[in-house]
This record gives sequence, C-alpha cells and structure tokens, in this order.
Amino acid sequence: MGKGGKSEGSNGQEQNMAAWLVAVNTLKIQPFNLPTLGPYDARVRMKAVGICGSDVHYLKTLRCADFVVKEPMVIGHECAGVIEEVGSEVKDLVPGDRVALEPGISCWKCTQCKEGRYNLCPDMKFFATPPVHGSLANQVVHPADLCFKLPDNVSLEEGAMCEPLSVGVHACRRANIGPETNVLVMGAGPIGLVTMLAARAFGAPRIVIVDVEDSRLSVAKKLGADEIIKVTTNIQDVAGEVELIHKAMGGGVDVSFDCAGFNKTMTTALTATRAGGKVCLVGMGHHEMTVPLTPAAAREVDVVGIFRYKNTWPLCLEFLRSGKIDVKPLITHRYGFSQKEVEEAFETSAGGGNAIKVMFNL
Amino acid sequence: MEHTQEDGAVEETNMAAWLSGIKKLQIRPYHLPPLGPNDVKVQIKALGICGSDVHHFKNMRVANFIVKKPMVIGHECAGIIKDVGSSVKSLAVGDRVALEPGISCNTCNLCKNGTYNLCPKMKFFGSPPTNGSLANQVVHPANLVYKLPDNVSLEEGAMCEPLSVAVHACRRADVTPDTKVLIFGAGPIGLLTMLAARTFGSPKIIVADVDDSRLSFAKHLGADAIIQVSTNIQDIDEEVAKIHKLMGDGVDISFDCVGFNKTMSTALTATRSGGKVCLVGLGPSPMTIPLVPAAAREVDVIGIFRYRNTWPICIELLRTGKIDVKPLITHRYKFTQEDVEKAFETSAQGGDAIKVMFNL
Repeated sequence: MGKGGKSEGSNGQEQNMAAWLVAVNTLKIQPFNLPTLGPYDARVRMKAVGICGSDVHYLKTLRCADFVVKEPMVIGHECAGVIEEVGSEVKDLVPGDRVALEPGISCWKCTQCKEGRYNLCPDMKFFATPPVHGSLANQVVHPADLCFKLPDNVSLEEGAMCEPLSVGVHACRRANIGPETNVLVMGAGPIGLVTMLAARAFGAPRIVIVDVEDSRLSVAKKLGADEIIKVTTNIQDVAGEVELIHKAMGGGVDVSFDCAGFNKTMTTALTATRAGGKVCLVGMGHHEMTVPLTPAAAREVDVVGIFRYKNTWPLCLEFLRSGKIDVKPLITHRYGFSQKEVEEAFETSAGGGNAIKVMFNL
Repeated sequence: MEHTQEDGAVEETNMAAWLSGIKKLQIRPYHLPPLGPNDVKVQIKALGICGSDVHHFKNMRVANFIVKKPMVIGHECAGIIKDVGSSVKSLAVGDRVALEPGISCNTCNLCKNGTYNLCPKMKFFGSPPTNGSLANQVVHPANLVYKLPDNVSLEEGAMCEPLSVAVHACRRADVTPDTKVLIFGAGPIGLLTMLAARTFGSPKIIVADVDDSRLSFAKHLGADAIIQVSTNIQDIDEEVAKIHKLMGDGVDISFDCVGFNKTMSTALTATRSGGKVCLVGLGPSPMTIPLVPAAAREVDVIGIFRYRNTWPICIELLRTGKIDVKPLITHRYKFTQEDVEKAFETSAQGGDAIKVMFNL
C-alpha cells in the first residue's frame, strides 16, 4: 500500500496531506494545514478511512440534500488512527493510543444538545459535510472526547467501521429492537448489513433481508440473515413480495428498516409491517415519496426517522471487542493513500455491486 | 312503534336507522340479540354523527370496510340502562352511561398487549358488518359501558367518543407542558384535539384551516393563534414561515387532523427536528410527501386508530370541567325519518356544522 501523500516541508517537518474535493468528480491530494491543538483536542494520525455513500454523492454532485460544497473540501469521515499529541487538558488519552473518531462536533449550547439529541444540533460541524473538512488525511485535529480508545483486539479498520455501524445501532435503538422484535431489512448494502448485524446484537430473533441484487443477498445470508428475498423495483410487485416476506418471517413483521429509501421499499415496508409496529426510514433515496401512509397510520404503524447517531461509539466498540458483531467481512476493497488509489477507490465504491465497504489504509 | 307480544303484552318495537344503499337511511325495526350475563340493554338518548358515518352514508364503504347488507348506522352514543345481565354488578337499571363502541376479542396478542384498538376481530358499532347504535335500544357488553357523573349530560357522554380520538392522539404523541402544538383542521376532530392538548398541558397551540369561520371558532375555544392556509402545495414554504413566526419557537408536535398531501407536507416541514407528526385524519392514499427530509431530521410520524382506555379519562375531564365539549354541538335533531335525513345532510355539509347530535 502506498504511503504516498506524505511529504516534507522545507524545514524538515512533515507536510500534512489530504484528499480534497475540488470539483465534480475531481479529488486531489494536496497539503492540509491543521489548526493549532487546543487544550481539549487530540492530533490523530489517520490509519483507516472508509468511504461512505455520502462521500461518493459529494464527489459526483458537490452536494447532499441542502449541504453544498462551495469551496474545496477534504473528503472522508469514517476513520480511526493513532494519537500523536494531546492538548493540555486531555487526561484520558496519550500518544500511541489507537482510537476511533466520532465525526461530528456539536455545540453543547442548544436545546437539542442539552437534551441529549446532539445529532440534531443545528450548528453541527461534521467531517466532510461542507464547509467542514473531512478526515481522509495524514492527520487531523479533533476534540479528545470524540476519540474513543480501541480495545486491544479491535483493529483500526474495525475502528473506522464504527461510524457506519453507529447508524445501524442508532436505528436499532430508535426502533426499540429486542428479543421480541422480528425484523425486516430493505437493502443489503453496507447500511442494510450493519443494521442487520446490529439488530442481531440487540437480540432480534428473526431477520429477513431483501434486495434487488443476488450477490448482495448472498453476502447477507453469509452474515447471518435468517431469510433472504430477491425483490424488484416494480411497485406492482408489492403485494406479492409482502406475502413472501410474511411467509419467510413466519409471523408478523414488528420492525422494518428501509435502508434504501425509495417509494417501492417504503411502500413495501409500510404494507408488510404489523399493526402497532414501526418502520424506520434510514435510507435517503427520494426527497419526496408517494407512499400508502394513511392505511399504515390507520394501523398505528409509526415511521421513525434516523439522522446519523448519538452516543454509539462505546457500544459499537464493545460489540466489536466481544465479537457479538463482526464487521470485517464488510470490508471488501482496500486502497492506499495515493492520488491514483484515491481515484480508483472512489470509482470502486461508486460502482456498488460486490463492493460493500471500500477502506483506505494510510 | 308498538307491537303485541304472544302473552298479549304490548312492547315497543326497537327501531333503528338502517343504511341500505348510497344516501339511503331508513328507520325500521331492529331486533336485538338476547341479553347475555355480561351485557346491558341501553336506551340510547344521545348520538352524534361522525365523518365516518357520513362517509358510509355517501359511499357504502370506508377504506376496506364495505357495507354489503343493510346496517344500522351510528356509534357516538350515550343512554340509560334498561336491563342488566345476570353477572353485571357495576351497573343498574336507570344508570346514565356512555358507550365505547368497539368489542375486541381479548384473546389475540394485540389485545393482550393492551393495544386492543388494533384487534383484527374488532366488532365496532356502524363499521360493517356490525350494526351501529342510532336506535332506540342496543345490547352491549357492560365493561364497555361507563357511568356518567351527575353533572355530565348524555350529550356530553356521546361526545366522549370523538373526544377519545383526541385523547388517544395526545397520549401517543406525548403532549406535555413542554410541547408546543400545531393542529391542521378545525373540524370536530381538530377542535377536540386542541382541547385535549390544552388539558395535557401544551403551553401553545396554533390551529390551521382553510375556513375562516372554523378558525374563529377555534380561537373562541382557546387556540393561542389561528392561521388560514390554502389547499395549494406551492404555499407550503410561506405558510411554514408564518407558523414559525406565530409559534415564536419550534413546533414540537403537529397533528394532521385532515390527512391530505398538503397538510401532511406542511406538518412534516413545519415540525422541528426530533419532533412528531401525528396523522389523525384519514384522507386519500397514497400520499406524496417530503418524507425523507423529515425522517432525516428525526421527525417521527405517529399513526392513530380510534382509541384505547380513554372513557374513564374523558368522563373525568368532563366532570371537572377541564374540557368543555358543549360548544361543539351545533345542531340537534330528533329520531324521525325526516330528521335523520336532514341531520346527515347537515353533517355532510361541514361549514358551521361541527357536531350534529340526535336526541332520542
């Protein structure tokens, strides 16, 4: 793996390099000057960074929902590394510690933060959500309280996987997954798969996963899905698919996770879920959806929304430490930190298919 | 109508309003089942018309419930006990009571888990094929019949049913002194939801509607602010800006008591991150709504189907005067063929008709 991207400045000091999004489909490894280390900060040398669907979306369109990339921005946010230096007030971390990073810095002053729903902070500064720089870099500076020490048996790549896994964990908490909830997962991509793994860790007794792609369904089965069902993108097929789902579940669907977020998947979820159950909308497909909400609401099927996560790193790390969750099979492709490899990595991730999680090793 | 029994005694024939075709209601005899040991026989004295009754009247169906044979209409009712089954201890002849319409099976998981309103075998007054209660008398399980305090009238007893929808919605949406509320629709359900939300402690309530006169009425009943909105989807951004200005702060909970694309889209856009939109109104399906941006702000959508365990609290709220439903009863009719037809016409027209009540 190339260690490219590191270069020395004229005074012999290391020049911090990062992958910058400079234009549509254009990533360039360029110098990235770090801010000074504050008393509560840590400087982390990045070792593992995963690519997220949102990173790909920014690369292709320079925007994601209402967030627009107006000037060059460092990409990447799913990361783990090694502490290089800590600020004067940092007590819990020392240089050499291996840590996973929670990307988002919330304000801690607003009502949302103070009530614990800091993921909804309107002033959130989140790696690679414009205008905040991301972490596909040699080093970053980050608040120490958002750097979580990895147990000895958890690798740096697994540390980087805590970020997508956190989405699955947060969704399972909001949907109240437990030993009595039979779960349906729509979509067997990285988010559907981490949601499935999280649901199992939360005790879900039966998990059925659906997708349009055979190969992704095989991965899901290998990772522990009780049943897999191939579905279509055709809205006409909803009734038939709901029947197949009910048969595969052997009982009612208590919670559905729509990890795709399209009319078809949401319609299927709303129809398949039992009265009094929940549909958790994790995926962000269409902005506006045409769905049979009324008949679902009239069966008291609630729709639970998901935005990133909160307070999930400790639990994710414990799941990984104990082996209750194994994310390693999701890492399907690895690249080094060089101009060429950065470009290839994003192409691979954007291609989907048998690429689940594409990981940089720095 | 009287008839002579075998032993020569003259008995009143029980009459009811039967729905036998589209817009076809006829008062005809209604033979009651025999009184079981756990049943009571109730002389119906007050009965309100619900939007669903009107919908059955106009369409002979509501959603998947189809009227396939003549059915007695009506379900919002109160009356006086005429007879009690042999095992009934809690009620006596002469008691004034309000009736909870739905008989659940009590054996399925949904019932046993306390969500009996979702029972798939529910037998509900006026929901085909179960006969309703716009009749002289009905027979009903005693455990679904609630004694009215002396200061609560029979009409108020009948209002417990729509009030129950509002109370159930406020519970499911978790209305508290911390939750600022926005209500779409100033019809009977929207107005009762407003009254219930106030009782549950909501510090600020805004009501939105297309109809000026209904909005004035909402203000009169205690809305902190009213806003006239359109049916035009283009107006959402402007309306949301106005709502936020009026609220002075975020909308914690929105109740869509209408159930259309426009109202639901506005609700999803106006509600703050982490808030809730409670869909009470049952409009057309499917809906086209900005669901993803709302879900991506963790705005949850809560569904409502009727109610559960609400009569005791409704009766108590009426007894203490914490809620006054009397102003909502705008029109009254008697139980005659002519009046039944007029009553349904009036209710169907909406406008200044909020709750149309039969006095039997």
